[in-house]
Amino acid sequence: MATTLFAGSPDETDTVDIGDGRLAKRERRRGLLFVSPWLIGLTLFFVFPIVASLVMSFTDYRLVADGDEPTKFVGLENWRTMLGDDNVRNGLWVTAKFGLLFVPMSIFVPLGFAYLLTSERLWGRSFFRVMFYLPSMVPFVAGVIVWRFYLNNQSGWLSRLLRGAGWEGTPNFLNDKNWVLPTLVFMAMWGVGNSIIIFIAALNGVPTQLYEAAKIDGAGKWRLFRDVTWPMISPITFYNVIISLVGLGQYFLVPFVLLGPEGPPEGASRFYTMVFFRETFSFFKGGYGAALAWGMFIIVFAITSLLFWSAKFWVHYEYEER
Amino acid sequence: MTATTTATGVDRKGTGNRLGRMALAKEPQKSFRDLDGPTKRFIGKAGVTLFATIIMVGFLLPLVFMGVTSLKTEDQLANQQILPKTVDTVTITEGEFAGDYDLLSVPLPDGSTPALALVKPGREESTFVDPAAPEVPIEWVGRWRTLEPGYTLDPTFENFGRAYDRLNFLQLLRNTGVIAGLGMAGTVISSTLVAYGLSRFRMRFKGLIIASLVATIILPRFVTLVPTYAVFSRLGWVGTWWPLIVPHFFANAYNVFLLRQFFLTIPRDLDEAAEIDGAGPLKTLITVILPQAKGAILAVALFHFFFAWNDFLEPLIYLSGRRDLQPISVGLYEFLGLYDTAIPLVQAGAILSMSVPILVFLSLQKIFLGGIDLSGSLK
Amino acid sequence: MISNRHGSRRFRRGASAVAALALVAAACGGSDDAETSVDDAATEADAGDEAEAETEADAETEAESDGDTEEDAGDAEEVDAEAEDDNGGIIEGEQIEVAEGTVEVRWFIGLGTGSQDEQIDAQDEIVKTFNASQDEVTLVPQYVDNAVASDVLATQIAGGDAPDLIGPVGLAGSNAFAGQYLDLDPLVASSGYDIDQFGDAKDVYRDPVDGLLGIPFAVFPSAIFYNTELFDEAGLPYPPAEYGDGGITMYGEGTEFEGEWNYDKLEEIALILSVDSNGNDATSAEYDQSSIEQFGYVHQWTEDPAAQGSFFGAGSVVQEDGSAAIPEQWVAEWKWYQNMVHVNGATPNADYQASDALAGNAFNSGRVAMANTHLWYTCCLFDEDGNARTNFNLAAVPNYEGTVTSKLHGDSFRIHKDTDNPEQTFAALQYLLEEGALDLLTVYGAAPAREDIREDYFAGLDEIFTQGVNWGVIMTGLDYPDVPNHEANMPNFLESDALIKEFSAPLMSDPDFDIDAAVAEMEADLNAIFGT
Repeated sequence: MATTLFAGSPDETDTVDIGDGRLAKRERRRGLLFVSPWLIGLTLFFVFPIVASLVMSFTDYRLVADGDEPTKFVGLENWRTMLGDDNVRNGLWVTAKFGLLFVPMSIFVPLGFAYLLTSERLWGRSFFRVMFYLPSMVPFVAGVIVWRFYLNNQSGWLSRLLRGAGWEGTPNFLNDKNWVLPTLVFMAMWGVGNSIIIFIAALNGVPTQLYEAAKIDGAGKWRLFRDVTWPMISPITFYNVIISLVGLGQYFLVPFVLLGPEGPPEGASRFYTMVFFRETFSFFKGGYGAALAWGMFIIVFAITSLLFWSAKFWVHYEYEER
Repeated sequence: MTATTTATGVDRKGTGNRLGRMALAKEPQKSFRDLDGPTKRFIGKAGVTLFATIIMVGFLLPLVFMGVTSLKTEDQLANQQILPKTVDTVTITEGEFAGDYDLLSVPLPDGSTPALALVKPGREESTFVDPAAPEVPIEWVGRWRTLEPGYTLDPTFENFGRAYDRLNFLQLLRNTGVIAGLGMAGTVISSTLVAYGLSRFRMRFKGLIIASLVATIILPRFVTLVPTYAVFSRLGWVGTWWPLIVPHFFANAYNVFLLRQFFLTIPRDLDEAAEIDGAGPLKTLITVILPQAKGAILAVALFHFFFAWNDFLEPLIYLSGRRDLQPISVGLYEFLGLYDTAIPLVQAGAILSMSVPILVFLSLQKIFLGGIDLSGSLK
Repeated sequence: MISNRHGSRRFRRGASAVAALALVAAACGGSDDAETSVDDAATEADAGDEAEAETEADAETEAESDGDTEEDAGDAEEVDAEAEDDNGGIIEGEQIEVAEGTVEVRWFIGLGTGSQDEQIDAQDEIVKTFNASQDEVTLVPQYVDNAVASDVLATQIAGGDAPDLIGPVGLAGSNAFAGQYLDLDPLVASSGYDIDQFGDAKDVYRDPVDGLLGIPFAVFPSAIFYNTELFDEAGLPYPPAEYGDGGITMYGEGTEFEGEWNYDKLEEIALILSVDSNGNDATSAEYDQSSIEQFGYVHQWTEDPAAQGSFFGAGSVVQEDGSAAIPEQWVAEWKWYQNMVHVNGATPNADYQASDALAGNAFNSGRVAMANTHLWYTCCLFDEDGNARTNFNLAAVPNYEGTVTSKLHGDSFRIHKDTDNPEQTFAALQYLLEEGALDLLTVYGAAPAREDIREDYFAGLDEIFTQGVNWGVIMTGLDYPDVPNHEANMPNFLESDALIKEFSAPLMSDPDFDIDAAVAEMEADLNAIFGT
């Protein structure tokens, strides 16, 4: 049950059948009452909009009416257009390329930091933890403001630093179509504070006897990591993979504010989310936008399901062995 | 931190593990680290700490850049020095060359390099005067651009005052405060109720309800954006704070999970005792559960505060015409649009906008770094 | 229209769109209201002379607008009146109170110029003076940041909450909101306003079907802005101060640089005016493009492909048969500019423009010798303490293959077709065009469309820029406008406009950008969007 990663460990109230007695009915009623804010919220802010969105995806609905023509059903037209749309294909491709770099980096960078920050040989660990968490507190618009000027190829500090280190012809981090995605991933690594904390907790949670035992067996550092640490923290890793995939599916605001919705240069940063946003809010194609949003939903759902299914091959749950 | 970790469910015993069993088989030996001498250990520690310091400096360099830039005037920005330095100038008050000029170090034929005022720049030949004797022009052959000007360190704090005024910082603070405060109340109340319901009562479809919460974490927000907007628009709430506040009164998956996990660690004997005393479930929640879960509830409140401080898309959509109602994220975005040719000013504005969350974080960092986050709900 | 003038186009365009969401509302609640008010407005406009009918209508609308809290104007739906009241309690906006017995006229500012910080105070003053001068109308300005203005306006229209008066609006703004503007002919007739004072310009905004959609207010011709200090340093003669026959003129007469003032000549002197940190200019083999200190030329906030293309001659991507084709001279101009940026190093590329040295406002930094831009650029020739730059002057634009094109922007005021109070709105409009005009124009950096007040206007500018700017040459540019205008309408305007604009990012940042291939692709994409 990989969902327990989100929902927490199951407890006996989840499973035990309490029958149909008067007391049982009262307990159910009361429970329902407490849960009702969520049930209402779910209906209002999720179920209804999702269904409405699906219906819209079969219409030619426009956000700004084009003349007096009423909105009408167009069947599968939006969905067909979507399959043949170069922008959509490009958006998926951009998102995939970004994700290929972003998802592994958003696991291994914070894991590396967590290793460093749990090292017994590090003085002032809590100070370093505060410092490494600090950028996660920077509101993203402020972050964009910093990075936009920090990364300038002429006067930005990064380019100056690299030139000082002997790299002539530093790349145009934000304006070169081959560099813009790695640059965005690099920027995203600024906000990994939460992942660092989660990994620190996970690393501290690995029982010390396990390390002792492995060392007795003559395990080196790499084997300690591979045979002890990695399996022991795999549920947390799994959780972080899911969270970064969810983040990938929604990745939008930073490139939107930093680079603009057309995803320059030449669409190199035009993520799928931007294609959706442009069609819907720049070109007012509400119906098509709904189909695009649903397409996104389906893809994210499929990938997450695949991951949840794959969990049994690589995520190590202690309680399963009990 | 370790205490919290244990309390929130990361099992440290690990007795079920293969390697754990192997450990029982042999005598424990000393770790290789213990074999090192104290000096070696000291060097090792210094090395790791130095390494961490270098990484940290690189990691935080953009913030340093931001701070340094915010202390520059536009002229200091344009002269491309790293630190806020002003080019030395001189004012000649009388004579043919009265005016303000840059001072450059000019190598003269006699081998001296005095600081002279550049009064008439030319490509291959320029006219300088000695500020001490401003009547005598000195014709100098060579390229003035290759000459070194003198610089003086001269940081300014004016940008903060300007940014404060032009951002209308107090108004943004008030707007953000109201939106964050009301939303915080909403999410704390509703998430507590739902988490309590899900941790203490047996009910049908509980698995489905939990699954629906997980599903909303995974669902891309764009799917619901337009229809939700339509609803609020119909209610006449566009251009008001309500769309940013009301939804938080209907619980949120992350908060529910965090609180539920915490509630599960509170022994049930206590609420059973309260129940025997005749307390209803709501009273039990308030008198028994809440006092014990203060830390978790504070964490939920703080998370919402930071969420609201950072939330951008919804406020932009619902409040774009309403400068008087916008929270700080949108205010800063518009500020950037207006003043993006005034780089130091914009950096100062960004520093203002992050000052509050950073201060809150630094003063409450134990809570953040103490592991109260989703790791608490991890198995 | 001059949407890109204040700074990074990324940000400006960035937000285009956001708020339009609201348009959903049109499908839901708003549309009914909107339709009704269209009818009302039409009836009122037609009714023209029938004063009685109007009074009735006014009475109704007054009652209605009383119901709306000011902060939430236009949410005519009665839903949740309570909530709105609560909300009203917390808002402290410094908005103008609608005086009793007067009609509120909401003035939407931001689609063109007008929402800059410095401009807001000045406009508030004008509004206050107007409101105090009569007791029928209360003019309420609403300032919206240019970056999001069109989205906000779209949102308001869709929500049935359209403003009454809109402006200043450029051509692009008018294309994006085609069909939303009221025909002003009946109002001009009933009020007896003298529209002939605008001369030939009076019919600029006339649509053959929809009538008079706007009254011209300001024109922004373009010229070469040049930095006198940098020309002096290089020992070069200044660019020509006036146009000759047919606009053709000479550069540097009697000097070694003498020649016809065309883009080749401009390029030649721009190279001399580009200098690296070692003092080499761009004609030198040692010129180091990675450390350029000073540039020869820039399209100052006129880099949009259609805009800069028009420097080499006006054109339209829409052909007579309705299909799309990029004008040849535009392609030539794009290649010329690409060469200037990436081969000559005489024009700052995207990175240089955003760097600390140029800080997003290239010519104002004092590191660019020449800029081709509009009169509105007088907005932004100041240092950070607000002191005007006195080191620039204006010159004629060069010709391209014998044609001179001084690209033209024009702003107008519009009335929204759904207004409940066309008469009162027109009264306010008249005030802005007459008594308020001079102050307003100075604030906007716009030359008056009315010829009779131009002299006073430039006298005002001379007090700011004391070096004695050659305003005459930029006004002569009005004789060489780009027809058709570079912001002229296209089929499916929003999409085609966005597509063309995408072209400028790679042009400015990618030295290897293949213009011919990109143009072919753009034509194909445009044809797809046009549906041809």
